[in-house]
This record gives sequence, structure tokens and C-alpha cells, in this order.
Amino acid sequence: MKALHLVVVLSLAALVAVLLQLMPEPASLRAPPKATVTEPAPASTPTRFVIDGARVFDGEKLWPQASVQVRDGRIEAIAVTLDPPADYARIDARGQSLLPGLIDAHVHTWGNARRDALRFGVTTMLDMFSDHRQLADARRARESFDAADQADLWSAGTLATAPGGHGTQFGMDIPTLSTPDDAATWVSARKAEGSDWIKLVREDLHTFTGNASLPTLDDATAAAVISAAHTQGLRAVVHASGQEHARASLRDGADGLVHGFEDALADEAFLTLAQERKAFVVATLTVVAGMAGEAAAVHEDPRIAPWLTAEQHQTLAARFGFGKPNPPLIATARENLRRLHASGVTILAGSDAPNPGTAHGAALHEELAQLVRAGLTPAEALVAATSAPARAFGLADRGRIATGLRADLILVDGDPTRDITATRAITTIWKNGRAVARDRAAPPRVADQSWRAGRLGDFDAGQLEGGVGAGWSPTTDKIASGQSEVRLEVSGKGANGSAGALRISGEVKPGATWPWAGALYSPGSAPMQAVDASALKELVFQARGDGREYRVLVFSGPIGGVPAMQTFAATPEWREVRMPFAGFPGLDATNLRGFALSAGLPQGAFALEIDAVEVR
Amino acid sequence: MNASVVSADALARPPQLRLYALESWYELLRVLRTPAFALPTLAFPLLFYVMFAVVLPGQWGSYQKATYLFATYCAFGVMGPALFGFGVGLAMEREQGLLELKRVSPMPIAAYFVAKIAMSLAFALAVIVVLTFAAAGFGGVRIAPGSWALLTLALLLGTLPFCAFGLWIGTLVKGQAAVALVNLVYLPMSFLSGLWIPLFALPAMLQKGAVVWPAWHLGQLALGIVGQLPDVNYGLHLLALALMSVLFLTLAALRLRRT
Repeated sequence: MKALHLVVVLSLAALVAVLLQLMPEPASLRAPPKATVTEPAPASTPTRFVIDGARVFDGEKLWPQASVQVRDGRIEAIAVTLDPPADYARIDARGQSLLPGLIDAHVHTWGNARRDALRFGVTTMLDMFSDHRQLADARRARESFDAADQADLWSAGTLATAPGGHGTQFGMDIPTLSTPDDAATWVSARKAEGSDWIKLVREDLHTFTGNASLPTLDDATAAAVISAAHTQGLRAVVHASGQEHARASLRDGADGLVHGFEDALADEAFLTLAQERKAFVVATLTVVAGMAGEAAAVHEDPRIAPWLTAEQHQTLAARFGFGKPNPPLIATARENLRRLHASGVTILAGSDAPNPGTAHGAALHEELAQLVRAGLTPAEALVAATSAPARAFGLADRGRIATGLRADLILVDGDPTRDITATRAITTIWKNGRAVARDRAAPPRVADQSWRAGRLGDFDAGQLEGGVGAGWSPTTDKIASGQSEVRLEVSGKGANGSAGALRISGEVKPGATWPWAGALYSPGSAPMQAVDASALKELVFQARGDGREYRVLVFSGPIGGVPAMQTFAATPEWREVRMPFAGFPGLDATNLRGFALSAGLPQGAFALEIDAVEVR
Repeated sequence: MNASVVSADALARPPQLRLYALESWYELLRVLRTPAFALPTLAFPLLFYVMFAVVLPGQWGSYQKATYLFATYCAFGVMGPALFGFGVGLAMEREQGLLELKRVSPMPIAAYFVAKIAMSLAFALAVIVVLTFAAAGFGGVRIAPGSWALLTLALLLGTLPFCAFGLWIGTLVKGQAAVALVNLVYLPMSFLSGLWIPLFALPAMLQKGAVVWPAWHLGQLALGIVGQLPDVNYGLHLLALALMSVLFLTLAALRLRRT
């Protein structure tokens, strides 16, 4: 009898424990609230429809075949088979795959970024620093269920950095922090501007240049910003490219890292810390691969290329100006990602667009492939671009295909849970439950004025002008808050006994993040006006100088685009330098805006002479 | 002396397997000859299913009525024979003194329980088959053969906690009182577990409270298997049902020892 009583008590206790685990969340089938503005949609874009028979990756798992019902901007149902009312349009998607709209967890949105992203199925962007003045509009847009032609945006707004630190080099005047006492006021100012979270920069460039050359937040100030963000109800995320900065950030309570780090392999202590703190990591492998010198080919993929604008083509083909390829950088990044993933740390997909080697929207597809290459399964990579970022950043209405969530969806050919590049084969994009017109990019416009072979400047006649265009002019980092100096003059002795050469001399001084000083040649009638140089093949010139390495930058394509670059060494003797246009990654010869010959780091005086500069 | 005892024992011992089989067969005959038992247990689930899923087809949100209710009425259907067979059967046989008679007969007492379990399983299978025909034939429900087999297995296993529950009820009351008590438990519990209509129609309190009903756990298993519920925690639901079985069996054992 005693034993039986004991069994009763024990089974009751165990039962209570199990039942507490299983307690259901109350559900209801209330109709979703109507969109605020009831604008009659054109007949071509139904707002009540069922997508039938697709393979559905719902953000967490795969339904081999399912139907998804959408009504007025929201997902109304997902099930193996659905039998909707007769007024629902039916879309036969057999053989295709349906995914939640993609979320890019690391972008910087300027200009057309949100439009560009949506064209590639990225329906939500998590911005890690851009202009905060767009945030009020962004907030309204992301809460609306009206038709939209751009991705929704959540943003850090202005980033937290030290005076002169990373983030100050873009020509915007941003408020910086010097001491822990600045933290609380700084964070409340961001909150007032509409920042959705706080992003801190802990970057001294040692990972990329070998020495700590850039001012950055100290431990105490960074800790104070993280704690102030949490006090004021905001998440705090950190840019750190070094393990110790990353470690300190997580110890101080940062919610996640918006890059991996590449200066060292992640050690056991770090992995344990990241696991314990339930921190997430946005890998941004694409941008690191670009820095390491790996050429991304996403812009050559026929499933991507037709929808790229000229600007996107250019940023995808562009490379960072760090000089030599550095394969260990990306190797370390991949191994760290593999370790973090193996330790169960949440990985998010982020492109860091529009940095060199990326472009909004398109680069997230490259990043997904990079994640798979680094060891995630395709399904895990899809989680990293859908449900995981929504959960990590608290976006309750998206990231999955589930009843009641926002109907941001993409339909692709093929099976991205087997071949991740199938995400590129987009057939339909729905934003807020409406199909988005996905126009191919207009063919790039060719500049009116064409440029024929000829000399750039007539130095023998003592002139900096000549050939076509506005000619040679000085260029320095003073336009990016630098201090470097340059002087252009025609000197007496040219190459091969000619009467004159262009002497470019000056001093590279600290101040800008990437200091430079040199000479700019503008072939158009005004500086940076485009000419059509597609008939030309190469730039050839004579050079001599102090033995430094110099850079030739080509500005082409849209204004403000990233210049393509090649380098040469200036020897004491005259020497011919030939630079084929094909050697400049991303150069758009139909819209060529100028060449710059410049000195960069290391700091110090420099002197270079050039002569017989011509394009052929 | 010793040898004769052994041989007498051997003589007195009928073939065990045959005893179990015979007792099961007679139990099945008994309930088949009790229309008040056989008809409602087979007909009610079918009637409800046809009324709510076939006559009024459609969907609630992500749920397909025909498939959803197939799973829940199967669960509802397999509970009936178990609860009534054990609850009412034991109560009646206690009142009539049949249990006493069987206890003193050479039949192992375990055969009594095995027979009732076998009867419950046979009826459960019949309910599932009948509902499957209705669902596939008139409700347009399509379920992969593997899923159907898994569903059947889960439901048959799922009768055991209700056998135990019925057993306990049978030890609490005698005779016709058990019919009232079983109905009083069976019907409200089925409703509160979402077997008749989905739980989201009920207040949040009742939705949360469903966790205490064994019928809810069985329903969740069935709905998960037919693909109407994502992310069903099969292990924990099975564990809950197993613990409930142990609890009711032990309570019944305590009662039976006392009487």
C-alpha cells in the first residue's frame, strides 16, 4: 500500500512537471486588422490569393509540398492542402520553392538601397549605420500593409565611435564619444532620432593593416554605451574585427556582433562566452572575401545580372584599397564561423552592402552561398536570412511563413534547401501580400562624348590641359577631413629627352582614414563628367620617382561609385607603365569619369614624375 | 507426495494462451451483444464527423476541417470503448458479482484485463477504419499510408491511458452509476480537449487548461501526425500519457485492494 501511494505521488509530481512544459499558448482566429488605407489594388495584383503546391521553407523547416493563403497583406494560412473561398486567386507553384522574404542583417542604406534590395527578394534590411533622418519614414513604412516598392528598414542610425574613428570618414559630421560619461546622453540622442538599436565600433584596423592605426572606443566607454543602451531598452551590437574587442563586447553584455573577427581563430573561451550570452553573429563573409582578394562572381550570374543597376555592377566588381590579396583573412573568417556555428551560436546572414564587393539585395545571395561554403547546410543558411534575424532583432511580424505574419514572400525555381544558389532564381516577390513588379535594370546609358586615343596633357608645352577634357588637377584627402598636401608642376626634363613632365609631389599626413594625395585627370569638359572610352584598351605612361608604390584609380559608371584600382612602383629611372582597362575590376568604359594617380599610406613626403601619358 | 502434487497441478492447469483468447472473445461477444455499448461507440464519432466535416467542409485558418476533425474524432472514437469497456464493464461486473466469480475461477486474473484491452483495441481499430472511409471517401482527405499507419499505432497505444482511467472509475462506483460517471467525464473532456471543435474557439483559460486532459495530449499527437499542427512535442505528450496511465492504474489498484 505504501509503495502504491508513493507511485501516486511520484507520477502526479512528474505529470505536473510535464504538463507545465506542454501548456499551450492560447490561439485565436481573429481576422487580421485591415490595412489603414484601403486603396483598391489593380486587378493584376490580387490581394487575396493562394500559392499552391510549392515546396515551402517556412523559415524554420521544409514542407515538401504545401499551400499558402494570403489576404490583405498577411499570411492567412499554411497547410498541406487549402480550400479557399472562390474569390481567391490561385497561383500554381508546383516545382518551385516558396520562402519568407529575405532579411539582410547588415546593410548601410543610402539612395536607392531599399528599392535595389527588394528587387532581389530582400524584403527587410537591418541597417548598421546610415542617415538617421530617414528613420521616421522607415518606421511608418514598415508598419503599413500598403503596396510597397522597397524593402522595410530597421536601423541603428548613427554609430558609436571615437573621434576620428571608423565611421567618421564618410564626410558626414557624426557625434562621437570620448569618455564613459558621454554614453547616457549619446544613447538617448540616438533613441530620440529613432535608432532601433545601438551599434558600436571597436575597430583599430590591426586586423587589416597589421598595426592599430585608427582611434576607437576604449573598453570603459564601450561598456558604458552597451549598458546605457540596455538601460534605455535598446539592443547593443558591435562591429569588432579582432577577437579581444569581440570578447570584451560580449562580456560587457552586447547582444550580438555584426561582423565576425579575422585576427585570430576563435578560442574555446570565446565560444563558451558567446554560447552563454546567447549572442548572435552576423558573419559578413562576402565583404571579408572581397577584402581578402577573392573575386565574387555573383554579378556574372545570369540569374542576378539582368536586375543589377550600373551602380550595383560597379560596387560588386569593386575591391577594397588594402593593396595585396590576403587569403588568410577569409580563411580565418570561415573557420571562425564554422566554430561558432558548431558551438550553437546563432548565425545571421548580412552582406554589409554597399561596401566594395557587394550590392544591395544581390550580395545577400552571395552571402548565403558563402555561409554554405563555410559549413552551414543550405537550410541553416536560409534560417540565418529569415527566422533567425527576425528573432534576434525582435521583428515579430516577419521572418517566417505562418498564420498572421506579414506576407513578404519569394518564389524561386529549384530547391534552395539543396542548392543554396537557387535563391537567385526568383520568379515572384511579394511585399505586403502584393506581387512586386521586378523590372530589369535599364541598360546603362553610354556617355554622349566619346574619347579617342591620345595624350593626356601637353607637358612639353608646359600645359596640364590637352587632348580632351578639363585636364589635370590636384586631389587630396582634404575632402574627407584629411590633411595631406600635393603640388602639381611641369618640370623641365621629361622621359626619353622630352622637354617636360608632370611632377606630383607633396606629403601624406594623418587625418583621414584612408589618406591620399595626387593628381586627377578629367576627360570630360567638367571634372567627373563622363565620356565614352569603350573604344580604348589601356592607359600607358612613363613614370619615375622615389620608389614608393602609387595607385592609379579609375572613376567610372555612376557618380560617387567606388573607383577601380591598380598599383605601380615608381623607380628612380624612367620606366613605361601599361595598365589595360581589363585590369581595373568593375571599370565601366562607357562612362569614364577620370583617372587619379595618387600616393597613400605610409605617411610622409613623396615625389613622382609622369610623362607621355596616353590612352590607346 | 511431491510428484503427485506436481502432476495434479499440471492437470489442473489449462492452456494459458487459450484462456486469454477465449476470455477476449467472450468479452468482445458481450459488448457486441450490448447494443447500448456497441452502437454509440461506433456511430457517434462517425455521425459527428459527417456532420461537422463532410456536410460543412472548409477550413479554419491553417486548419483543414476534414483532416483536422478526422484526427480529433479518431481520438474521440478510440477513447470511448476504453472508458466504457473498463469503467462500465468493471462497475457492472463488480455489482453482479461476476468479478468475484472470475477471481475464484482457475482463469488468471490478468486475462480479465487483457480481454478488456483487446476489446478496446478491436473497437478502436473499427472506429479508425470507419472514419478513414468517411474522410477519404466523402471528406477528400488524403493521408500518406505511412502517416495513416503511424496514426493508427499512436491511437491504439493511446487507448491505454483511457483503459486505466476507465478502470479507476469502475473501482469508484458500481452498476449504472458508472455509465453516468463515464459520460460525465468522456463528453466534457472531449470538448475541452478540442476534439469536437478546435480549441481556439474557447476562452484562453480553457485553452491553457486543456493541458490536464489526457484526451488533449492524444489529440495533439494525432493532429501532429496528420500534418495539421507543426512542432508537436511527441516525446512529452507520450510521457504525459504514460504518467497518466501509471497514475490511474495505481489509483485503481489502491481501490481494488481496499474492496
